Formats: sequence, C-alpha cells, structure tokens
Amino acid sequence: MSIKPKSNWELIKNGMFGENTIFRMAISLCPSIAVTNGMKNGVALGVSVVFVQTMVNLTVSLLRKFIHPKIRIPIFMLIIAGYVTIIDMLMATYARAIYREIGLYIQIIVAFASIFARAEVFANKNKVFSSICDGFGMGVGFLLAMIVISFFRELLGKGELFGVSIIAGNPLLIMILPAGGFLAVGLLMGFFNWIDMRFFGGKGASGV
Amino acid sequence: MVKITLNLVVIYLVGGLIMAFVYAKTSPIMFQKAKEEKEAALRLMMPEADTVVKLGDWEPHEKHAEYYAAQKCGELKIISVNDEKTGEMKEEKECLDPQDIGYIAEGYGKGYSSYIHVLASVDRNFVVQKISILSHGETPGLGDEIEKDYFLNQFQGKSADKLLVIKGETADKIQAITGATISSRAVTEDGVKNGVTMLKEKLSGGVEG
Repeated sequence: MSIKPKSNWELIKNGMFGENTIFRMAISLCPSIAVTNGMKNGVALGVSVVFVQTMVNLTVSLLRKFIHPKIRIPIFMLIIAGYVTIIDMLMATYARAIYREIGLYIQIIVAFASIFARAEVFANKNKVFSSICDGFGMGVGFLLAMIVISFFRELLGKGELFGVSIIAGNPLLIMILPAGGFLAVGLLMGFFNWIDMRFFGGKGASGV
Repeated sequence: MVKITLNLVVIYLVGGLIMAFVYAKTSPIMFQKAKEEKEAALRLMMPEADTVVKLGDWEPHEKHAEYYAAQKCGELKIISVNDEKTGEMKEEKECLDPQDIGYIAEGYGKGYSSYIHVLASVDRNFVVQKISILSHGETPGLGDEIEKDYFLNQFQGKSADKLLVIKGETADKIQAITGATISSRAVTEDGVKNGVTMLKEKLSGGVEG
C-alpha cells in the first residue's frame, strides 16, 4: 500500500489493474477457479461482487468511527454476511429466475477474502467516497479477471461463449474441469506479470 | 472492556434486527412462490391428471421428500363458494370420484458434487412415465447434461428393474452420458430407482383402489 493519497480515479484504476484482486494480489482465487467454467457464471459472480464490495466498503467507512479497533474483524464479518443474506433473501423473493441461476454464487461471497481485505486495509481508514471508489474499482477488477479467465476456459473447454457454439469439433474438456482452472489462472497470471515487467518496468506480482 | 462489549452487542443487535425485518417481509412471499413452482412442476409430470394429492413423506439420503398420487376426476363439479376474505362469490371445482392414474415420487440421488433433486412419475403398474430434474450442482458442461431431453426421454416406459446405467449403446436400459457416468448413475440408480421402488413397496397393496 502506498501512503500518499490517491485521487478517486486513481483508486478505481488501482483496483482494476495495479492491485487486481486475482492477478496481482492473488487473493480470492477459489471462485476464480470454481466459477469460471463459463462466461455466464463468471460475469454473474463478478457483478455480484462489484455490488457487495462497494456496499461493504461504504458501510464500513460510514461506521469506522463507531467500530472499536479491537473488535473490527467480527463487525466486518457481520456487515459482509448481512449484505449477502439480505441480497439473497430479496432475490429469492422478487427475482426467482435470476436467483435460480446465480443464487449459489451470491451465497459464497460471504467467504471472499478480497472484500474482507478491502474493508480492513482501506475502508476502515478512509473517507466514505474514497472507499466507495476503492470498492468499486476492486470489484470491477475482479469482474474483469473473471471475464478473462472464463472466456478462455469456456472457449477452449466447450467451444462456446455464453452457451453459444463458436468452435466446432472436439473441445479440450480439461479446461472446464478444476485442473483447467489452475492452468488458466496460472498462465494468465504469468502473462500479466510478463506484460507488467516488459512494458511497465514492474517487478511482477511477487514484487508487490 | 465494557465499552468494547457494548459496541459489539449494539452493532450485532442492529444487524440482526435488519436481517430479521427483511426475512419477515420476504419469507412468506418466497415460500408461497417456491410452493407454486413445485406444484407447477408436479402438474407437468402428469399432464393428463386433474389433481395431484400428497400421499406421504419419505427420507432418501436423510432429506425430506414427498410422494403423490396423480388423480383423474370421475366428474368435475363446479360449485360456488363464498370467499371468506373478500366476501365475494367465486367458482371452485370439486373433484368427484377421483381415480388414481399414477404416482409421483420426489427423490434425491447422490451425484458427483451434489445431491440431485428429481421427480419421477409412474403409472399404476409402476412403469416410469416421465422424470425431471428439479435442481442439482453437478459439473457445468458435463454433469449438467442430465437436464437435457435426450437423457431424460430414455426413462419413459422403463420399469424399476430396467433402471440401470450402461456405458455405450443400449435399447432397454439407460445409456450413460459421456464424461458424466456418476451423474447419470445418481439420477438413474439412486434418485429415480429408489423412488419407484419406494412407491411400489408402499402402494402395491392398494393399487386396485
């Protein structure tokens, strides 16, 4: 974490690229493997995360003066679980068609390291609007990562995108199995490190 | 110390109250909708039946499941009833002399990564008419092929002893889905077969009614 204050746009950009949850920070890797075997799944979870991450950052930042530092962890847990539970209940009631598709993903957001990390690292110490920008940027960064991973996995593993057939013939079945998830995330992470070192003079994810 | 405790208690109380409020507002609507969806699914299992009546409960894999009788009415009488809520008269159908034309079992099959929730309908000789997958969490792209018609349609006209999964071509048994033998087995030999066998055991005495 850099200490000098960043503008709101820099915060959003930082979340999307500089500190991308999956490719740069390497946290929240479970969903990046479990839920990226199709574009539809990846995008659904990504959008849910953008929303929850932004709302949690907003709430934590609003409450930061009331939260005693010694008990901040259980309180963050409550805020995250509360949002997830409420969204889950609202969707199960008023949007059942969508709920049947992405209800499972909403529930797993409770255990997201990235949301927890931003509440602890950023929202707990910064002003409300900066926290919203940070949460939104982090969420969008996660969404972008999910899109990239699931794009390659669905295209190679099933020959489809969003369930629409693109390539005929025998697809590489392994890409939509868990093993393919590790392959895709590992290779993409390496690729983005290479771009960072080659064109931006960075040190790669290990140097962050 | 007291301050920390109070801080935690107050925040958790507020959070709990908010969640309780949302739950109280949404849950009646949600359960109502879930019930309607299940009833619609049940009616689809036996389109020629007029009503579906619950017969009892059973517990496959220690989960709660129900079984039903699909009935055709001997005569449908339309009667006028006074609606208690609105005070208006409305028409309601009364089923006279219902005849069982088949049975429907809800069941669970233990699949590759989830319990597969199935419905199976049988005629009065316990020959499978139709099955449907209500929900599952099998591998997308492999296990979720169990939802496809080419797999489900194989079940029509099979009795319990024909509910076996075969790898490769088969005429009188169930052909496994390539790459998803475990999911195919779970549906066939666990969910549906156990459901049909259960119906047979519980009902075979009273079939002639």
